[in-house]
Formats: sequence, structure tokens, C-alpha cells
Amino acid sequence: MATTRRTALKTALAASGTLLAGAAPARAAPAKFVYANNSPYDNMDPHTVFDTARAATRFNLYDGLYRWVDNPPKMIPWLAESHTVSEDGKVYTFTLRQGAKFHDGKPVTAEDVVFSLERILALKKGPASLYLDVIKPGSTKAVDARTVQFNLTQPSAIFLGTVPDILVVNSELVKKNAKGDDWAEPWLARNEAGSGSYALRRYDPAVGWSARRFREHFAGWGERAFEEVEFRTVLETNTRVLGLQRGDYQGVDGYLPYDQIQRLRGAPNVQIIEHESLRVFQFALNTTRAPLDDVHFRRALAYAFDYEGFIRDIMRGSVARNPGPNPNPLWGSPEGLAGYSFDLDKAREELKQVKGPLRPITINALAGFSESEQAAVLFQNTLRQIGVEARVEVSPWSVVSSRMRTADTQADLVPLWKSTYYVDPNNWVGELVGSRYRGTRSFSYYSDPEVDALLDKALLSSDQAERQKLYAAVTQIVNDRAIGIFIYNTKWYGPYAADVEGIRFSPVSNGQDLRWAQGKA
Amino acid sequence: MVWLNIILNRLAWLVPTLLGLLLIVFLLSRVVPIDPARLAAGDNASPAQVEAVRQQLGFDRPLPVQFLRYVGDVARGDFGTSLFTQQPIVDDLAARLPATLELTIVAILLAAGIGIPLGVVCGLHRNSWIDHSLRIVTVSGLAVASFWLAMQFQFLFSMKLGWLPLSGRIEGFPPEEVTGLVIIDALIEGDGEIIGSALSHIVLPAITLALPAAATVVRFTRNGVLGAIGSASVAYQTAMGYPRRLIVWKYVLRQAISATVTQLGLIFGILLAGAVVVETVFDWPGIGAYAVRSILQSDYNAVMGFTLWTGAIFVLINLLVDLLQAAIDPRGAR
Repeated sequence: MATTRRTALKTALAASGTLLAGAAPARAAPAKFVYANNSPYDNMDPHTVFDTARAATRFNLYDGLYRWVDNPPKMIPWLAESHTVSEDGKVYTFTLRQGAKFHDGKPVTAEDVVFSLERILALKKGPASLYLDVIKPGSTKAVDARTVQFNLTQPSAIFLGTVPDILVVNSELVKKNAKGDDWAEPWLARNEAGSGSYALRRYDPAVGWSARRFREHFAGWGERAFEEVEFRTVLETNTRVLGLQRGDYQGVDGYLPYDQIQRLRGAPNVQIIEHESLRVFQFALNTTRAPLDDVHFRRALAYAFDYEGFIRDIMRGSVARNPGPNPNPLWGSPEGLAGYSFDLDKAREELKQVKGPLRPITINALAGFSESEQAAVLFQNTLRQIGVEARVEVSPWSVVSSRMRTADTQADLVPLWKSTYYVDPNNWVGELVGSRYRGTRSFSYYSDPEVDALLDKALLSSDQAERQKLYAAVTQIVNDRAIGIFIYNTKWYGPYAADVEGIRFSPVSNGQDLRWAQGKA
Repeated sequence: MVWLNIILNRLAWLVPTLLGLLLIVFLLSRVVPIDPARLAAGDNASPAQVEAVRQQLGFDRPLPVQFLRYVGDVARGDFGTSLFTQQPIVDDLAARLPATLELTIVAILLAAGIGIPLGVVCGLHRNSWIDHSLRIVTVSGLAVASFWLAMQFQFLFSMKLGWLPLSGRIEGFPPEEVTGLVIIDALIEGDGEIIGSALSHIVLPAITLALPAAATVVRFTRNGVLGAIGSASVAYQTAMGYPRRLIVWKYVLRQAISATVTQLGLIFGILLAGAVVVETVFDWPGIGAYAVRSILQSDYNAVMGFTLWTGAIFVLINLLVDLLQAAIDPRGAR
């Protein structure tokens, strides 16, 4: 065969390119698992960072007493092997397992658990708000090396569900690196003091982090577990998707836009793991301001959103309709709750009953989240058909979140998701309408003593059947009074390399808890 | 004395320039509807926790007090602490600056290496098909959005051809820092594998940054050549029988390149700004990507620190350009 100048040039370029690239894209199951995430790992402190997008840091480097796994989520013993609860529901006593060690070889003790909780309460960041109302600083005791006792100020039905978020740090190591009363916050932002399945090897806030398998971890290891995991920050969605296709990454965050998921389905070296998650997409309504304080106006809004059209045409059928505040797979909703459907005639009927004057309303969508922006624009169009003008503003989450901290600054409507922080209806319907969450975790600023009484009872009760009834009652009220427009429960499409298995998805850890992941045989 | 005058003159302007820059950025960052104390305290913090953080960070003070305090801190080299990394801004920026400088230096060398010879060719062949063709290419180069170009390069060279890495600065984590410039550090360590990896990773982002800049260099060099070639000195040299190659590459280029060098100083600033986009697409861990994250997270101190550093670098580069220009053509300096 004759070699033309063009083919010679191609060959030379290809050869030089391969030389430059160092190695061809990986094809065999690699010893290293590289996960590309869209959130920056700018802080490694497990008591400061508390978002599901960066769950990897918390759950791979650290352990809690219990751990949420799988879907539907179940809580399994982890650093603790068991617990007891006192009759009055205020004293929780955990027994630690034997043999658990930190990465420096020191045994995990009850003192470390006490120190960790005190640190959370002192820093008042991240998961602190889960405990500040029910645990006083200094009240938690190490009974002996393996027994830790939490003394609650009042019974709390959700406390046990939040225990996995008390991630245990090596108290000796942290104290050694503390300066004054800073609880070693700057140090732990860049270092690690855990007992988790992986031990930190390199950390560069500009790049991400890598960690080695902690062979002595109490939970043991599968035969083909990854020796090293690396979590990289890759902000650009297109780069993450292309990197997975190329084999540069073995995993990518699971809430990519659906068109990217469809694109990845066609890649032979990629698998998409699907789960119905616990993450409800909704319009949060600021119920403090007229006319949104009028139930008829809120119902008119609820009838004016085209739920089926949005799910079918914009989400391309990738999600399931969720008619209430609690995610479909979870308990706590009344049997057969149908929610609202798109009916402009009913919306107009409700509008006629609104007592005060109407005004243009503001929808504050989240920048960079196409579903949020599309829902806002779709709603703007259908609202116009019933004579309600809506102005759409698009802002980054930091702006939206900041505005939502007071009823005065929160927009009328905010299309957003409620994620899983603990697996209990209180995480959704409870925090939506409970007065105690105004200014912290409430989306609606709704306040009603009757609703508060039901929620308080549900939080104090240890009877599951009673709690089911109470949350169902609150959910029915939320539905009847349209305290929110609930659209769909998110499906999690976890994109992973085809040669990886053992991914255990839980809505709490978002598919980033990699201790069970391994290369396919 | 000429050199000293230039340096003193530019340094005298440095302080008011940076103060002005600082004031603008400070005011802009305070008018956006974000509560920095809320962000620092976290999504789940109660109002009391937010207030505690507000006092701790000094956000409860009047704006002028906050600004004066900030200026005082900056004067002492303290740019504050990042709300998210919990680290001093100076450390954050210093850790990321070498990556940006490495990318920008390679890009500007590429821009000059491509742009100057092509500009000379265009100038020497004015209105020829070469000149017209290169003009079309350079105008296109200026018009193309860098993020689009970056994605096309990724698609072609990484995905289709598989010649070059898709993103990142190096395979895995960089080697131990000496200068912070990975290519230089790898050369010092004599690690061929890291050199290859670093070079292969920098090709696409550097070319993406360099191409629009090269287009500008071509146009300025071409105009400079056209001006020089019609000068009396060149007519004299031609009449004296100097070889054409000597006239072009020594005398014409020396006159023509003066404006190009000034332009390169401005381009350096543009490249620093352009790096914000290119670093994000190529996952390049420099101060551009840091700026994007800081803006998205409303990390005030970090945004102000980035702006101030970039401004200071821009001013210093222009000082160097002035000195270089004085060396090339001492008449201008006088």
C-alpha cells in the first residue's frame, strides 16, 4: 500500500499524541476509582460540610455510629453495634463495636464520640441544627470506653435517624492540631482524622482528593475492592460526561440533566444505575404575603401547573409524579393522596374566591438547574392564561438560599428540590410547615398552632403507627390548603463505568459511599 | 535614569489603581442580594447562629468601616479567610496562581510564536491571497467564543482522535512543588513521565487561549510591518544593498514589533480573564476556576482577593512591557 503524505502525517500525529497522552484511555477494570463531581471539595471537615452533593468526604473518610444504606434506605449498625432507649425516650445509650480503629491505629472510643458531638454543637455549622434543640453541650457522657450516652432535653422521634450524621473524629489528633478554642477547624478543613473505609492520601482544594483503602476497617473488604478512590471537582457538565465516556472517570454525580443521561446510555463503556430517590421537586410558596396567604389563591396556583405536560415533555418521562410533600416511597402520607391536577377552569373558580386584590408574583428559579428554570417559565405561561402575571428571576442557589432565610426576602415561589438529610417524614412535611423551622429549614413560613401540635406530638411519639397517622394528617392539611405545589420525586440516574459493580445507592449518600464498589470480575 | 523614571512612575500609579479596583469590587460585592453570614453559617443554621457568624466576621459593621478594615488588612497582606475553604485567601490564591501563570505563559508564547511570523508575512504580502486568507482566519479567531472552541477541541482531539487528555493539569495529583509550575518542577526532578503528562494536558487549554490572542498579534504585527517597510530607513537600507532577509527580520521587525509588545501586555490581562472560562471547561486548577467557584458560592473575600491579584499582575506585566519597549525602542521611553 502506498503511503501518502497525508497518511504519514496522520500516523506521525497519532504517534506523537499517544506519546504525549502518556497512556491510552483505560479499558480494563482499574485499581483506582475516579469520581467526577460538580461540587468543589473546598472543605474536608465532616462537621462543617453537610450537603448531599459532597457526601463522599463524610462517608468514605469517616464513620458514624449507624449508617444509612440502600434504597429504600435502611439504617445499619456501624461504629456502634446496638443501642437502647430509656422509657422516657430521653436517654440513648450506644455500645461501640470492638476493633474499630482510626487511620493512625488508635481505637475508636466513646470519648471520641462525645468529643465529636461537642465539636458539632460548638461549631454550630453543618449538621448542628439537627441537635442544637435537643442536646445541651456537656450533657453527652462516655460511660466507659465502649458506651456512650446521649441525654436529650426532650424525647425526639427523629434523633435516631440523625445519629448517622454524628461522624466520629479522632479526638486526640484533632486536639493536637487545635489552636486556642478553634476546635482545629482550619486544620480539619484540609486534613482528615477519621476511621472511614478510605484514608486520605492527597488533598488539593483546587483538584479534589484521593484516598487509600483502609485495610483494617472493621467492615472488611470485597475481593476486588478499589485500592484507591479519587474525587475530582469537574464543574463543567460536558467535561464530566465526556470523561466518563473516555474512561477517565468511573463515576459521575447522579443528577445530571436528562439529555446527558440519554447521551450516556449510548456509550458502550457506561452503565446507568436507576433508583427512585427521596428528593421532591416542588414550588415552595411564601405563605406570609398576600395573596399567597389566601388558600384560594394557593389552590388556584396548584391547579394552574401542567404536571403531566412538564413530566412528559420537559422531563421526558424520566421522573414519577409525586402529589404530596413526602417522597412517594416513604411512609407518612395519607392513603391514595391524589394531589392536584392541571385544570385551568378550577383554577379560575378558585381565583374568583380570593378576597384581596391580585398582584404580579415572583418566581425565583435556580441558575444552572435547567429543570428549575423550565418549570418557572412553563408556570409563567399557564398562569398568564388565568390572568396571573408572574415575573421569573433566575439566581444562583447561594442567592436563593440567602433570600429564603426570612419571609420578607423569600420570593413568592421558588422551584427547588427537598433532599434527604434523614429518612423521616419530618425531613419533608414536618420541616415544610413546622413553626420551629421558620428561618432555618422551612420553605413556606406557614404557621398554624393546630399543625404545630400534630408535629410536636409526632416528634415526641415513639409509636410508629401513631406517627404515621399524625404525619398523614399534616400531609392532608398541606394538600387541602395547598401549602406548596408538589411535582415529582426525582429519579437518580447514577452514571458509572460499565466495569464497576457493587454501587449501593442511598438517598443520603447519593451513590458516593464507595466502600462496596469493586471492579467486575 | 529613564528606567528608574518608568519604574517609579508606574509604581506611583499602582496604589491608586489597586485602591480604585478594590473599592469597585467591594461595592459590587455588597450590593448583590446575598447574606454572607448566612452562607458562612450554612443552610441549616438558625437565625441566632447566623447573627453570631455575622459578628464574628464583622459583617454587622457599617460598610465604610468594613471597607477601611479590609483595606488595612490588605495592606498588611491579609486578604481574609475564605468562607468555604476556611483558609487564608492568600494561601488559596498562591496555591492556584502557578497553574494559571503556567497556562497563560504557554498561551502567550504560542500567541506570539504563531502571530508574529504570520503578521510579518501578511505585511510583506499586503493585499495578496495570503494576506486576505489570514485576515479571514484572524477575524474568525477573534469572533469565536472560547468555551465553544474549547468544547470542539475536546470533542475532536480527546474524544474522536484520542490524542490528548480531556481535562485536568496532570494525570492524578501534581508532584511536590518547587516552583509550582508543573512542567518546570518535573524538569527539575527529571521525571519524563510527568513532563509528558503535563505537556499533553496543557496543549488544548493553551491553544484555546492562544488562538484569539494570536489573531490580535497578527493584525498588530502586520500594521507595524506596513508602517516600517515604507520608512526612510528601510528605503536607505534597500538602496545600500542590504540583503532583504536582514532588512525584514532585523530592521523592519524591530520597528514593527514595538506596538505588538505593548499589545502582548494587554493580551496577558485578557488571557488572565479568559482563563476563567477555559479553566472551567478544562478543569484546570487555577485562579480562574477558583474565581468561578467563589462567585457561584458568593465568597466575597475570595472574589475580591482574585480581582485584586489579577489587577496587580496586570499592572506589573504592563510595567515589564514598558521596560521591554524602552529596550526595543529607546526613543519612546524618552
